[in-house]
Amino acid sequence: MEVALRGVWHSYDGRTRALRGVELVFAGPGIYVVLGPNGAGKTTLLKIASLILKPSGGSVLVDGVDFWGLSEGERDVIRRRVAYVHDKPILLRGSARENAALGMRIRGEVDEALLEHYMRRYGLTDVEGLPASRLSAGQAKAVTLVRALTVRPKLLALDEPFAFLDDSRARTLVEDIARIAEGGGTVLVATHYMYRELRDVVSYVVEIISGEVRSVAKLR
Amino acid sequence: MAEGILQVTARSLYISAVASLAAFAAAVLTSSYLARSRRRVELLTPVFESLVGVPTTVVGLLVYTLLSPRGPLGFLKLLYTPYAVMVGEFLVALPAAVAYMARSFHTVREGVRELVLSLGVSSERVVSALALRELAPTLLTSYLVAFSRAIGELGVALIVGGGIEGYTNVLTTAIALQASIGKYEEAIWTGLVLIAITVVVALAVRFLGERVLWR
Repeated sequence: MEVALRGVWHSYDGRTRALRGVELVFAGPGIYVVLGPNGAGKTTLLKIASLILKPSGGSVLVDGVDFWGLSEGERDVIRRRVAYVHDKPILLRGSARENAALGMRIRGEVDEALLEHYMRRYGLTDVEGLPASRLSAGQAKAVTLVRALTVRPKLLALDEPFAFLDDSRARTLVEDIARIAEGGGTVLVATHYMYRELRDVVSYVVEIISGEVRSVAKLR
Repeated sequence: MAEGILQVTARSLYISAVASLAAFAAAVLTSSYLARSRRRVELLTPVFESLVGVPTTVVGLLVYTLLSPRGPLGFLKLLYTPYAVMVGEFLVALPAAVAYMARSFHTVREGVRELVLSLGVSSERVVSALALRELAPTLLTSYLVAFSRAIGELGVALIVGGGIEGYTNVLTTAIALQASIGKYEEAIWTGLVLIAITVVVALAVRFLGERVLWR
C-alpha cells in the first residue's frame, strides 16, 4: 500500500501551519520512522498519512488515487486496511479485553484466537478483566497496540509507540512491526528519539522539523 | 394543612418525574444536534447556560401568558392543572440539562469518532453507539440536575398551578403556604422531606447507574 503526500499542508486554527508543503512517499512495505522534536508536526503527518485527518491543502494519494476525492464508501474500503495508534492511550468504558477487541468488533470480525495471542504476547492476560480505568499507563498503551494489531492492518501508524512501554513490551512491539513489514505491510512510527531496538529494522528515517520534511534517509 | 404530606409528596414526585423525564429526553435530542458541529456547540450552548439563570417566576409568568384563557394556548384549558406545572417545570429543567450535556456530547463524540477512524471505520452508527455508552455518567447526572431543578422550583408551581390543595399543591407550594400562615415547624418538616427526596433520588439513580448502566 503506497501513500504519497503531495504539497500537503495543514493548519488547525487557520493561522499557524503544523505542516508546510510536505512532499513524501511511503512507497510500500517497510518501516518508516518519522523523527523530530516535540511540536515538529509528526502527529499531524501521521494522522494525514493514516487517512484520519483531511489536510487543509495538498493531496493524499493511496496507490495513485486521490483519497479525499473519493466517495465516502470508497474511502471506507481503503480505511479498513489502515490502523493508527495514538500517542496517549484512548480507552473506552469496559474491560481491558473489551477495549483490545474493539477494533475487530466494530469491523464485525472478531478473532478470539488472534486476540488471545496478542493479549498473551503483551502480558495482558492477568489484567484482561480489569476496567480500563484501572490499568497502568503501560498496560493501557499495550491494550491500544493489541487493538490495532488484531485488525491486521496493511498500514499501521504508531505515534510515540514506546512511550509508557517497558523494555520487554517494546521489544515485542519491534518484533511485531518487523513481522508486519516482512509480510508486505507498511509501518509508520513517529518518535522523538530512535529506540535502540528499532535501529536494526528501520527502512527509512524521515526527519521533520517545524512542519517541514528536512531529509529522508534509506537505512536498509 | 388538610392535605397529608404523603399526598403532596406523591404529587410532587409525579409532576417532577414527568417534567424532568420530558426535559431530559428533549435535552438529549438537543445536545445530540448541537454536538454534531463545534460551531453549534460554541454558539448555542451559552444561550442555554444563560437561560439557566432566568428566574422561575419569569418562566411561570411566560407559561401563564401562554395558558391563560386569552392566551394563544388558552383553549387547552390547562391553567391551574398539574399539566401546567409540568409544562413550566419542563421549561425550567430543560436549559440546565442541555447546559450540562452539550459540551460533553461534543467532546466525547469527537474523541470516539477519531478513535473509530483510527481503527479504519467511519460509521456514524458505531460512533453514536460507543459515544452513548461513554456518556452514561453525564446522562445520569444531567437527569438528576433536571429532576432537582423541577422538584425544587416554586415560581412556576405557584403561578400556573396555584398550589390548590388536593390538585396542584406540591412540596414547594406547601412550604410557601405553611410559612405564609406562620406554620414554620410544618414548613421545616416539609422542607426536610424535599431535601430527603432529592438525596434519595440522586443515590438511587447513581446506584442504578453503577450496577446496570456503567458495567
